[in-house]
Amino acid sequence: MRKVVIGAAGLGAAMVIAACGGSVGGGSDAEITTVSKGDAKASGTLVISNWPLYIDEETVSNFEKDTGVQVKYVEDYNDNTGFFGKIRPQLEQGESGGRSIIVPTDWMASRMDGLGYLQHFSVPDDLPNVEANLREDLKSPAFDPDRAFSVPWQSGMTGLIVRTDLAPDIRSINDLFDPKYKGKVTMLSELRDTVPLVMKADGINPDDATKEDWLKTIDKIESAAASGQIRDFTGNDYAGPMVRGDVVAAIGWSGDAVQLQADNPDIEYRMPTQGCILWSDNMVIPVGAPNPNAALEWINYVYDPEVAADIAEYVNYITPVDGAKEVLAKKNPKLANNQLIFPSASYTADCSNQPSLDAADEQEIEQAFERAITG
Amino acid sequence: MSGGRRALPYLLLFPGLLWLVVFFVIPLVYMGELSLRTGSLTEGFFFNWQFSNYSDVLSDYSQQFLRSFIYAGVATLLALLIAYPLSYAISFRGGKYRNLLLFLVVAPFFTTYLIRTIAWQTILTDQSPLVEFLASIGLTSNGRILDTPASVIAGLTYNFLPFMILPLYTSIDTLDRRLIEAAKDLYASSKTAFLKVTLPLTAPGIVAGTLLTFIPASGDYVNAYFLGGRNQAMIGNVIQSNYLVTSNYPAAAALAFILMLIILLLVVIYIRFAGSEALMGDEASTT
Repeated sequence: MRKVVIGAAGLGAAMVIAACGGSVGGGSDAEITTVSKGDAKASGTLVISNWPLYIDEETVSNFEKDTGVQVKYVEDYNDNTGFFGKIRPQLEQGESGGRSIIVPTDWMASRMDGLGYLQHFSVPDDLPNVEANLREDLKSPAFDPDRAFSVPWQSGMTGLIVRTDLAPDIRSINDLFDPKYKGKVTMLSELRDTVPLVMKADGINPDDATKEDWLKTIDKIESAAASGQIRDFTGNDYAGPMVRGDVVAAIGWSGDAVQLQADNPDIEYRMPTQGCILWSDNMVIPVGAPNPNAALEWINYVYDPEVAADIAEYVNYITPVDGAKEVLAKKNPKLANNQLIFPSASYTADCSNQPSLDAADEQEIEQAFERAITG
Repeated sequence: MSGGRRALPYLLLFPGLLWLVVFFVIPLVYMGELSLRTGSLTEGFFFNWQFSNYSDVLSDYSQQFLRSFIYAGVATLLALLIAYPLSYAISFRGGKYRNLLLFLVVAPFFTTYLIRTIAWQTILTDQSPLVEFLASIGLTSNGRILDTPASVIAGLTYNFLPFMILPLYTSIDTLDRRLIEAAKDLYASSKTAFLKVTLPLTAPGIVAGTLLTFIPASGDYVNAYFLGGRNQAMIGNVIQSNYLVTSNYPAAAALAFILMLIILLLVVIYIRFAGSEALMGDEASTT
């Protein structure tokens, strides 16, 4: 009997050694695929992977009615790194798992494109609504200056979320390090949100930050965490402890604050005195996407200000579409005047765009941060 | 005809072996190969017998390894202390309610593991009456339980308790009661009868229960994730973050291998110590 086991294991091992020749990771040498719409009318089925609770209830069915495209809208994009970890083996094979649109944050969109996982398109040729209505300040981000592979879905601010009844005087990121709040504050487990905010509080401009600045800031966060000052590092699950009062102040996202405040008036987003971090989640078309034509149709559709206003009204993040505010002002003036949904230039004057890391330093910084937040 | 007979055991083994090869041996070999690669996501990971992956992760994460085994060990001990009297009581005193009581032990499984663990967040929140009571008698650090080692160990104990109870119950229930009577007839006190008869004869249940609790508990990351804070991360959390967050696949694979080897080693030592007869029953000692 023992012989059988060894024999079978040997067979398995031989099969694996044959399979292991494949590479893991690494940029693709294949040429970048470009999609364009031409005159063909969009049809068929479209699979969209987006973050949870990131769209109103009408837009998908309206789009289906207007275009005849069948949409399968899936909310399986839970966080950038987790989703990337799951989908990467498929993308590496040139497959998207049936998805035609996914919605990564700026830095992840940039990483995916760097690995050759995204298809390119032309905004002026195929996306007239985007050409006309994309907000001026979002037209040429550093990672995609021509918007050749990414179009913002929603933008948002990372700043302070505070229980005004329990921690009325927290206004700066530095206040999170105040011993008075020991064990009562949390920060985000997103490297590119948390570390630049702490840097800004220390007077370092994240855009000019060197690797040493990053590592030094991570050290500062690590020692605060080790001492018990910072209770935990979270995704958007900081909401629960905040409602319960276990946490009195957190680094968090503006849209969450609008939604949390609706249930608990004591929860408030506060612009940190040294400014916030601005970011966007972007619609991109992965390699192997089955129906790129319909994907382009969708991207164009949600840049109609009427549609964008519906989405903004539900989602409460910053809409990237010009004209949505005017549409919403007629229906819901209170929301249209909310600085968290339609921030004025002066409100975000001190904010920085979410920085991208130098590829050479990225791994070292990411690992230092992971070590800092997992104790 | 006799040839067919001889082939029968192999035929019966075949589905299980196939399963094991496809879902255990092949992934294991693949993971071993991955753990010896080096590189980064952008450049690709290349195979070059990078044994330093193992020493690197051991020195970086020795604290989390140690923490995992301490938490799992304490949780296993607590589960044993809770489960033994409980199984004993169900078996000896359960009477007609035995099946109902056993059903109650298994009942929590009808709700998913995640929901039950998240529910503990609410039970252990800083403002809960339970935590305020424990704080008032000085049993908490800084007036909280959540995000401390206590909450993670409590979660592990709670979640793996049925795995301890069921084997213990089976072994206590199959105990021949006449042996205890015989011991008492021979003037053994209740305590002596328990120590000399009940405990040794239920040792297989204890060994099986502790293994079924300790092994999954040391690799668990759900309890540390939901009930622990930053300073309670276990090795499972580190593997998860290396794989999904920093995309350092070789380090994640090396960590998983080390975890497996340490558990294997601990289990071998434990079985040696506890005696293989206890695990296998009488048959092992006769063959």
